Amino acid sequence: MRILVVEDEPALSHQLEQSIGGAGYAVDCAADGDQADFLVRTESYDAVILDLGLPCVDGLTLLRNWRDAALTVPVLVLTARGSWHERVKGIDDGADDYVTKPFQMEEVLARLRGLIRRANGQPRPTLTCGSVTLDPRLARVTRDGGTVKLTSHEFRVLSYLMHNHDRVVPQRELIDHIYAHDADRDSNTVEVFIARLRRKLGAGAIETVRGLGYRIGA
Amino acid sequence: MRLHSLRARLLLSSVLWTVGLLFVSVVPFTLLLEQQSRQHVAMLLHRFVQSPVVIAIAVSCMAAGLVLARGGLATVDTLRLRLNRLRTGRERRVDGSYPVELQPLVDDLNTLLDHREQAIQRAIARAGDLAHGLKTPLAILAQEAQHARSAGQHELADAIAHQVERMARQMDYHLAQARAVASGTTGGAQSSVKESADGLARALLRLHAAQRITMDVQVPDDVMVRAQREDLDEMLGNLLDNACKWGRATVVVRLDAIDAPEDGPASPPGSVTIVVDDDGDGIVPHLREAVLQRGVRADQAAPGSGLGLAIVRDLAELYGGSIGLCASPLGGLQARLSLPRAESHARPTPEDTPRTA
Repeated sequence: MRILVVEDEPALSHQLEQSIGGAGYAVDCAADGDQADFLVRTESYDAVILDLGLPCVDGLTLLRNWRDAALTVPVLVLTARGSWHERVKGIDDGADDYVTKPFQMEEVLARLRGLIRRANGQPRPTLTCGSVTLDPRLARVTRDGGTVKLTSHEFRVLSYLMHNHDRVVPQRELIDHIYAHDADRDSNTVEVFIARLRRKLGAGAIETVRGLGYRIGA
Repeated sequence: MRLHSLRARLLLSSVLWTVGLLFVSVVPFTLLLEQQSRQHVAMLLHRFVQSPVVIAIAVSCMAAGLVLARGGLATVDTLRLRLNRLRTGRERRVDGSYPVELQPLVDDLNTLLDHREQAIQRAIARAGDLAHGLKTPLAILAQEAQHARSAGQHELADAIAHQVERMARQMDYHLAQARAVASGTTGGAQSSVKESADGLARALLRLHAAQRITMDVQVPDDVMVRAQREDLDEMLGNLLDNACKWGRATVVVRLDAIDAPEDGPASPPGSVTIVVDDDGDGIVPHLREAVLQRGVRADQAAPGSGLGLAIVRDLAELYGGSIGLCASPLGGLQARLSLPRAESHARPTPEDTPRTA
């Protein structure tokens, strides 16, 4: 799962990157409207955390443009503008959730999880496929009740596949959703992660659909 | 015929009055001549006076003069009435057309009002910038407190977190106040209850998506209250947000009673009572008054600002309305927000139409 944080205050941006990264997501940061617009239009994100008062293009204009261009990425607005009139406007302009500053990091993380879950049509907070259960709240994976230790990249691969269970996920798409923008991307490493996940979760946990990609059954 | 000059109107009315008076005064003059036995002249005048047409013309000249003069002075009364509506905040400009002698004065007054409104809007925008500019540093401080807590410095973390929350609440409260005081002075605003409630319902269903609450908005389309849309949203938003937080499954918004506006320009118009019901646990009676006070919360552990209901109360009172809490038929809390009803634009009262001849 890959998140874009759009925030012009460097200290807050850094704090968000640390906390969201620590919760098992790949995180990119944008400090102004133009950069955010470019990243959203060229990269694949599972959610965007958007500040409204931004240099270059303000957040609400960005959001309206994205929705007009049929970009459906879930957007959590994180802003100082807390009046109800502004909240209604934010939601009507296409925000999926709205949190006002100052905020509790746990609340932002909880709302982010809910947003991604609902965007993928998952009604329950934990994901279960066969004997494997993934709890995004604790970034924890269990197999038959026992905790399985995963590296952050392995967790992201498994999380993305489980959020998109029963669907064949092409390798290219998987790479787009597990690496941050500036990370070194190598399709061979995805094969390595899949191999390690199979070792930890059982050989049948992830299916390779030859020439198309990977799939996890329900 | 419309006469836009007060001077011309008064001149014409005095001429008409004088001509009418002249004709009528022929009657005693004729009697006088008859008495002095100037039969020849008197006969002629007698015939002239006896003609009903002449008498009718004379009387209608006088009547027209009277009407013209009264009409001219009535525009001054209209102006006074409109200034009164301006002062009580029911209008924000002086509308209507006035005699050419008064129009420049009215135009100047309107320009002055526009300038003042712009100055207030700028001041409000600055206050907003100040509050918003401070909230990002506060957000950073709150995260630092979290770090301090992870590092084992619990007392420091609690102190920072507590103060950050206090500062944020103070900012929200005073910003809402400043905005409302300013809109109270500009006046003339009216907002649709239905539009506000619908927008808030859309937003709140998203914000409380995890709770699966159903929100039932039973408000007719055409009900307007005398308040700025921002302030109505703030009042109703706080009430509905509380209802969603505490309600189990259902929140209902409806209107209680719409009093018809009473006759007369000076009498206050009726009020609209917006009722918000939830099916939560409610608030015990002795705490209901307390939660409307500044900084008091029914449950200190609940998320959100304890100033929410205090903001609603202050805003409502600023607009001459009120807020009350009682038990809801749904089992939870019922909030009753009364606001002055705005007169509909579609039905102007007779006093609203400018008087012209």
